[in-house]
Amino acid sequence: MASPGMRNERMEQFVYDDAIVRLFLLATLVWGLVGMLVGVVIALQLASSVFNLGLPWTSFGRLRPLHTNAVIFAFAGNAIFTGVYYSTQRLLKARMWSDALSRLHFWGWQAIIVAAALTLPLGINQSKEYAELEWPIDVAIALVWVAFSVNVFGTIAKRRERHLYVAIWFYISTLVAIAILHIFNNLVVVAGPFKSYSIYAGVQDAFMQWWYGHNAVAFFLTTPFLGMMYYFLPKAADRPVFSYRLSILHFWTLVFIYIWAGPHHLHYTALPAWASTLGMLFSVMLWMPSWGGMVNGLLTLRGAWHKVTEDPVLKFFVVAITFYGMSTFEGPLLSIKSVNALSHYTDWTIAHVHAGALGWVGFMVFGMVYWLLPRLFQAELWSKRLAELHFWIATVGILLYVVAIYAAGLTQGLMWRAFDETGRLAYPDFIETTMRLIPMYWVRVLGGVLYIAGMVFCGVNALMTWRSGPARYAEPVHEAPSLAPTAPAPAAAGGFRRAAWHRRWEGLPVTFSVWVGVAVVVASLFEVVPMFLIGSNVPTIQAVHPYTPLELAGRDVYVAEGCNNCHSQMIRPIRAETMRYGEYSKPGEFVYDHPFLWGSRRIGPDLARVGGKYPDLWHVRHMEDPRSTTPQSIMPAYPWLARTPLKWSAVERGVAAQSTLGVPYTPEQVRNAGGLAREQAKQIAGAIARQGGPAGLEETELVALVAYLQRLGTDIKKPSSVAAAAGSGEGAGR
Amino acid sequence: MKLADVMSAMHFDLLAQVALVIAVAGFVTVMVAVFLARNREPFRRAALMPLADDPTVVRGPGDRA
Repeated sequence: MASPGMRNERMEQFVYDDAIVRLFLLATLVWGLVGMLVGVVIALQLASSVFNLGLPWTSFGRLRPLHTNAVIFAFAGNAIFTGVYYSTQRLLKARMWSDALSRLHFWGWQAIIVAAALTLPLGINQSKEYAELEWPIDVAIALVWVAFSVNVFGTIAKRRERHLYVAIWFYISTLVAIAILHIFNNLVVVAGPFKSYSIYAGVQDAFMQWWYGHNAVAFFLTTPFLGMMYYFLPKAADRPVFSYRLSILHFWTLVFIYIWAGPHHLHYTALPAWASTLGMLFSVMLWMPSWGGMVNGLLTLRGAWHKVTEDPVLKFFVVAITFYGMSTFEGPLLSIKSVNALSHYTDWTIAHVHAGALGWVGFMVFGMVYWLLPRLFQAELWSKRLAELHFWIATVGILLYVVAIYAAGLTQGLMWRAFDETGRLAYPDFIETTMRLIPMYWVRVLGGVLYIAGMVFCGVNALMTWRSGPARYAEPVHEAPSLAPTAPAPAAAGGFRRAAWHRRWEGLPVTFSVWVGVAVVVASLFEVVPMFLIGSNVPTIQAVHPYTPLELAGRDVYVAEGCNNCHSQMIRPIRAETMRYGEYSKPGEFVYDHPFLWGSRRIGPDLARVGGKYPDLWHVRHMEDPRSTTPQSIMPAYPWLARTPLKWSAVERGVAAQSTLGVPYTPEQVRNAGGLAREQAKQIAGAIARQGGPAGLEETELVALVAYLQRLGTDIKKPSSVAAAAGSGEGAGR
Repeated sequence: MKLADVMSAMHFDLLAQVALVIAVAGFVTVMVAVFLARNREPFRRAALMPLADDPTVVRGPGDRA
């Protein structure tokens, strides 16, 4: 739609680069299959611990981040790039700016995925949800993202269409926002080739993580898919979007409001109440633009609903948009504090996430894939019936999954807070609540298997369509008038009243991108500045002192094994929690926690005050075989911890890095970190042996983990004299 | 005196009010721009872009590259 009067009469011929789209599409299907397969495996592990296989690299704590990273960044990521590379070229009437950058982007992204698939099962991770990858991979992600951005902006610069269609706006917001989020949440001090510590601590680290985490959902799993919806849905329905005006409102309100909502992940935690309330209010406001987008999508099918019965592509899109509407209604609902008090840490959140991931993201991807397959591979779709079967089996799979897990979440939440008639907890033993969920976990496995079966059908259909295509793909040559570089943007006739200013922005992509960046950054700063600079947000507690070198090493083991995937370390000021776990958590208790480890889920009980609750030997037995201490436990066994030698050099590097971050270790503690750790390890190992446990644990990771667990939550219980001694460097022992 | 002390002494309720005013002003601006009747035609043309994104094909499918 070149604007009348703006055309240079010189016509130009060009060919779209569909080869790169084909590569990303195939990668989407391959990684989707892998990511979902890992998802089914970890679903099985929750139903029965046998499926952990007793191996370090197949235990739940290590595989869960692999699953989330694979489906988000490998499956959804490659799908985004498929949609962006296809639609951007056509909406801008230009081949991608650089074929070399396109290939660098593709192979770089696949290399990052492979690196993630290798490092996460090896226990190399930063602990932050959806940002688990360690610093060398983070650097690679930033570089590849820059290559992608340069390529897209280069294509915009050489486009032959003045107006930027709304889908491109959504893509630009993704490019800008993800860059900002990735960089600022992954700022670390390096402590080794594959080890780093977040520069933020405790409350502030939690805030930054969920600023990132929530907006990764916003700008990785929402805005690019909305851009794809605004492009592929009109194509598939052969009708223009219902309201272009609504799409503009949808865009700006989403971009401005979404960025504020992160703190709703931290209700009733040690986060200051003002931030939590702000996050809740903006989350509730998000409902309006989200439903505006859903209505816009569904009404695009006005007069074309009869096609939905015939066309699997439209079926996938309709259900995807419906799930978008349901998820974006449920999200604001869950952000309301009183609802969140029930839902947080339970499987309700997991059901919500999967309604969005399987329903919205997954079905948008499949609709797009089925629409693209005949066009990219220049052959008819191999089997429309198989695509229909995929749709129905996946729909049933989603319903089984989410209904079972909604029920599990509500069951958990209600049992955790239930009191008997005497005012005591009705289910004081955490394992009672876990046992109730097992049947629902099996239903989830069934739902997941059905969904993945649909994915296999899609893969077969893609493979067969690919095979039936020509040996060499035709490359149609297109023709369009060029935009003269000196041609002015559309005239501002009518000035503000004609909203020419907005159309000028659209014609000036750099200006447009800057304003998107400003919206994201300004909104972020309104929360970040007070969070970091108001001292009263984190009142200090004199009794809280840094971890000993051995405890810090144990904390690293805790992170490597992904314990935070199942155990929270945050007791909310809610009666049911303080009765179950003890004194509620205070912001000042976490000032030395680089990174924070509050967790977001309680598959097992909270550990914030587990220190001193059990003898050291109990922890040894529990790690060797959780069923020996809790017969019904679904926790994986960690027998390798008693065999794996602790790396003393890593202990020294860790203490030095924490010292760099401002943790007040004395110079002696930094210099002699290894010696202090060995001394404490001998004391603990001796105590374990005296209690009747195995001898010779002083050189192992297990003893470090025990030291860490026994420290948790104990600072504020210590008499002040003991705390002062610990702080003065005499705290190598406990 | 640390920066945190200065920030702590500031009245941040004012910041929230400023943020609210900016947000509302931005929203109203976009609303006005979007729903002015004069903009109907440009937006209608913009909405057709995905349906008109295949420019003239000089050599159609079937030709070998």
